[in-house]
Amino acid sequence: MTEEGGKGQGMKLLGILDVQNTPCARESLLYGAGGSLAAGLLHFLATSRVRRSYDVGAAGFILTTLGSWLYCRYNRAKLRIQQRVIQEGMKNKVIYEGTKLDPTQKKTED
Amino acid sequence: MAHPAQMGFQDAATPVMEELLHFHDHALMIVYLISTMVFYIIVAMVTTELTNKYILDSQEIEIMWTALPAIILVLIAMPSIRVLYLMDEINDPHLTIKAMGHQWYWSYEYTDYENLTFDSYMTPTQDLTPGQFRLLETDHRMVVPTDAPIRVLVSAEDVLHSWAVPSLGVKMDAVPGRLNQTAFIASRAGVFYGQCSEICGANHSFMPIVVEAVPLEHFEIWTAMMMEDV
Repeated sequence: MTEEGGKGQGMKLLGILDVQNTPCARESLLYGAGGSLAAGLLHFLATSRVRRSYDVGAAGFILTTLGSWLYCRYNRAKLRIQQRVIQEGMKNKVIYEGTKLDPTQKKTED
Repeated sequence: MAHPAQMGFQDAATPVMEELLHFHDHALMIVYLISTMVFYIIVAMVTTELTNKYILDSQEIEIMWTALPAIILVLIAMPSIRVLYLMDEINDPHLTIKAMGHQWYWSYEYTDYENLTFDSYMTPTQDLTPGQFRLLETDHRMVVPTDAPIRVLVSAEDVLHSWAVPSLGVKMDAVPGRLNQTAFIASRAGVFYGQCSEICGANHSFMPIVVEAVPLEHFEIWTAMMMEDV
């Protein structure tokens, strides 16, 4: 994964996942860790089964990380596209202001 | 350009490459979670004292390990198809450049307005000045304006070559007798390096590509200067 904006070297999980510089990665992993702990602990308190609680904890980590990741990335993607549309609109406004191609002028039917 | 021992992608210089980076992050996170799950299952199976010699089937787990991979594949496929179609969008290019592959250099033709053609040879190592990159610099760069859709028509004069610039998210095979089209919009000014990506003979590794994105006024000055020199 690429580094963004010239930041310092991020921590690379297993040498692959650049947690600090990849958007949403740090938050997702932290939520995942919290979800794993909560799920495993609650299961153990309810059932007193140690091994099964570890399994539930692992499943909780995966599901929580995945859910948080998808939610965060989807919102970022929407925001990114909105930013591009706004930039394009601003550029067109500057270029075409005062002409018939001005996007802010209401179109009148001939 | 890439720095030594770099494992990830280079910084994006086009919107398409940005989207490719985002998709790569998404796919890598999913792969990372699957690997975590597999590793956990391996550890659990190796450390358990339980055995069951008489199990024949289990409908529940078989449904799980069929449905979950299908869902994961859909989660990967949706952004993948989106990026794929984004890369194929036709965007009314402002400039068309022909990149012709030769053994062993590239030539560029800017023929929209004037007839500007030049060759781009690798700068030999002994001719490099301090700060230049070995095996990547060329004597003439392909200069393009920023924030303008550029169409590149790629072909070759002799054998197969491939015109690739990682920062721009562009790679297109150069096939003799065929005209392949690719397009990009350089969203920031800069110098972007690439290398021939199809084996083409002894000096295949020594015919790099350098694209320099500059503001439009500087691009016009450059074309005027090149026309005088040519």
